[in-house]
Amino acid sequence: METNTAKVDEKAAVVEAGPLKQKEIGLGIGGRRSFLLKLGWAGFALFLSAWMVSFMRLFFPRCLFEPPMTFKAGYPWEYTVGVVSTRFQKEYRVWIVREGEGFYALFGQCTHLGCTPVWWEGENKFKCPCHGSGFTKEGINYEGPAPRPLERVKVTLAADGQLLVDKSIRFRQERGEWEKQGAFLKV
Amino acid sequence: MWHNIFKIASKPDNIPIVGMLLLVLFFWFLSFWAAFKNDRIRRAAAGRPRPEGEKSKGDVVDVIDFMYPEEEQGLPKKVNCWPHLVKLEFICAIAVMALLMFWSIPIDAPLEEPSDSTLTPNPSKAPWYFLGLQDMLVYFDPWIAGVLLPTFIIVGLMVIPYVDVNPKGNGYYTFAERPFAILVYWFGFFVLWVLEIVIGTFCRGPGWMFFWPGQEWDPHRVVSEVNINWNEFLANISGITALKTETAGLLLGILTILAYFGLGMALPYLWLKRQESTIIYRLGLIRYGVVGFFFWTMMALPIKIVLRLVFSIKYILVTPWFNI
Amino acid sequence: MLTEQIEEIKEIIIGSRVYKSIFRRGFEDTPKNRVLAILGNVFLHLHPPYVKRHALKFTHSWCMGGITFLLFLVLCFTGVFLCFYYHPDKINAYRDMKYFEYDVPFGVVLRNMHRWAAHLMVITVWLHMTRVFMTGSYKPPREFNWVVGVFLLVLTLLLSFTGYLLPDDQLGFWAVTVGTNMARATPLLGHEGPFGEQLGVTAYNDIRFALLGGSVVGGNALLRAYVWHCVAMPVTAIIFLAVHFWRTRKDGGTAGPL
Repeated sequence: METNTAKVDEKAAVVEAGPLKQKEIGLGIGGRRSFLLKLGWAGFALFLSAWMVSFMRLFFPRCLFEPPMTFKAGYPWEYTVGVVSTRFQKEYRVWIVREGEGFYALFGQCTHLGCTPVWWEGENKFKCPCHGSGFTKEGINYEGPAPRPLERVKVTLAADGQLLVDKSIRFRQERGEWEKQGAFLKV
Repeated sequence: MWHNIFKIASKPDNIPIVGMLLLVLFFWFLSFWAAFKNDRIRRAAAGRPRPEGEKSKGDVVDVIDFMYPEEEQGLPKKVNCWPHLVKLEFICAIAVMALLMFWSIPIDAPLEEPSDSTLTPNPSKAPWYFLGLQDMLVYFDPWIAGVLLPTFIIVGLMVIPYVDVNPKGNGYYTFAERPFAILVYWFGFFVLWVLEIVIGTFCRGPGWMFFWPGQEWDPHRVVSEVNINWNEFLANISGITALKTETAGLLLGILTILAYFGLGMALPYLWLKRQESTIIYRLGLIRYGVVGFFFWTMMALPIKIVLRLVFSIKYILVTPWFNI
Repeated sequence: MLTEQIEEIKEIIIGSRVYKSIFRRGFEDTPKNRVLAILGNVFLHLHPPYVKRHALKFTHSWCMGGITFLLFLVLCFTGVFLCFYYHPDKINAYRDMKYFEYDVPFGVVLRNMHRWAAHLMVITVWLHMTRVFMTGSYKPPREFNWVVGVFLLVLTLLLSFTGYLLPDDQLGFWAVTVGTNMARATPLLGHEGPFGEQLGVTAYNDIRFALLGGSVVGGNALLRAYVWHCVAMPVTAIIFLAVHFWRTRKDGGTAGPL
């Protein structure tokens, strides 16, 4: 009890003595003790933030077990000219379209919020069931809230003559990427 | 027609929505009834002396003094929690549990087919309590409707106690003492949140198309709408084709938004100043700005809806990176 | 004769050291005992010893805060039972729902109750907020408690939303697909949001990826939703609830400053 009071008295005395005395024992602004105190808190904060970053990093897995991105889509002669093939929609979410000059493959993900549109043969359009976006057979958006055309994926010919679709490479029309190699397969 | 409405309303997941609508209307009525009653009593009691023997701590207690019915004026103002409050809580808990039991036994929670990433159900809807936000997706881009608006709603709710400087109406129902606060709250909660949920449930069908209640949900209905941007709309009206360029759109969009918020804040300010109202002095510039910002952001939703539905306007501001 | 014996047994129980170690007060209805009933009980002392008389009325408080808390307890209770049968993976999740429907004793009622209580809780939270607004109960000194309440509101909605995915049916799957695709459009942090692409954000490092634990709503997403729903968010909600109740009591109870 006594020592306690003594300590309090001492502190009060230091406070009363003003900045000069405080500086003498290193408690004032810029003093040695004050500096160490700041250093301590800074280290503590730095440690905590680094720890938080490591927790945040934990949310991003390094290794994924997701379906493969490439697949073989049969021989070119299996496709009819002018028809949108929904053969691989269920498994790979890709439509393959055969035109007179060749092939292109559309990725079945609405550019608005990622629902899978439905191909309506009779109306000659892709229609998204979520918010009503509509796309032409080429994949161009023309109604509803979708901000840009459907994405095309890379389609090439494999060594055995089958079509080879690679979903990891996408082509966006509004960037002129549909003109690029792989966006359209000439046969 | 009624058959169709009933079919939607009696879907298990939609029963809570019908219940919510009824509950909200009931409590709307109840709170306004209590508020108007209190206002009447307060007006009648103005100038009457305080009940004998009651200590009073300022304005609030005065008001509550008079809000007791005549026959309860003499009774003590405070009662023991045990048993009075605890008893009521117990009864209330039993009633709620009974309701829940009777709801859970006959009505099964919905379970649809196993999930399939290649087959999107039509229409596919968010959980019912987010339907208001989903409906906003028609009028705004996803980053506004899905990210910015929810954030503004949360932050806007949080700042309410710090921007409402009106000391009156603390702890009792009243309308006359805080009409602006109450009207804004009910507009936001009822018109924008609850009604949007009802529209999202009952009027949004396949392809998120709008159907009137009772109308058949035809997925092949053709909607012929061509939406144009704000600058194109102005160009069409004024006949100045120069407005159609991208740069003009950018400038016009920025100008429109700045003018909207600027005038929205400046005009009420000047008006209040002319009325020699003390509100702006009590609020201060920062709080006034915060109130103005959130209020006009909220009002932008119905305005954008009207612009879209009546004038087919898609975006106000178009930039290479984002559109508003 | 029998009543006498019952009285005697009662005396013995009440007089025993065990009983006295648990309950600290007698049965007499005295003002002191009424206060002690509240203060001497860890659960009841959420209440202040006294409340204002008008706070008791249904027309004043609507009982909405209390009902919301009750529903939270119901959800914790039924949720724990659901956990005994549910496996959060793509193969078993939907199958477990079918088990609840056809096989687990009282499984249907349990699942129904969990779902309907969740829906009801969303509604009662809104109504509670409305009541608090209408009585101006967010005004000083209770501003901060309103803010805590807003956190609880958000937690309630998120709890409900994460629970939506768990049955792994079409309903939940597409609701969560659309919901998380909005995260894709977050400014700066999403790969399709404004300025996301300029900052080098892709589908494999944006905020949606962190939420789903992958680029599609798959097994990882199911597990994450499960952990958020069953552990992380309920615990957070309980912490906020404790603060909420404590502040309510310290600031004068249901009907405002005393």
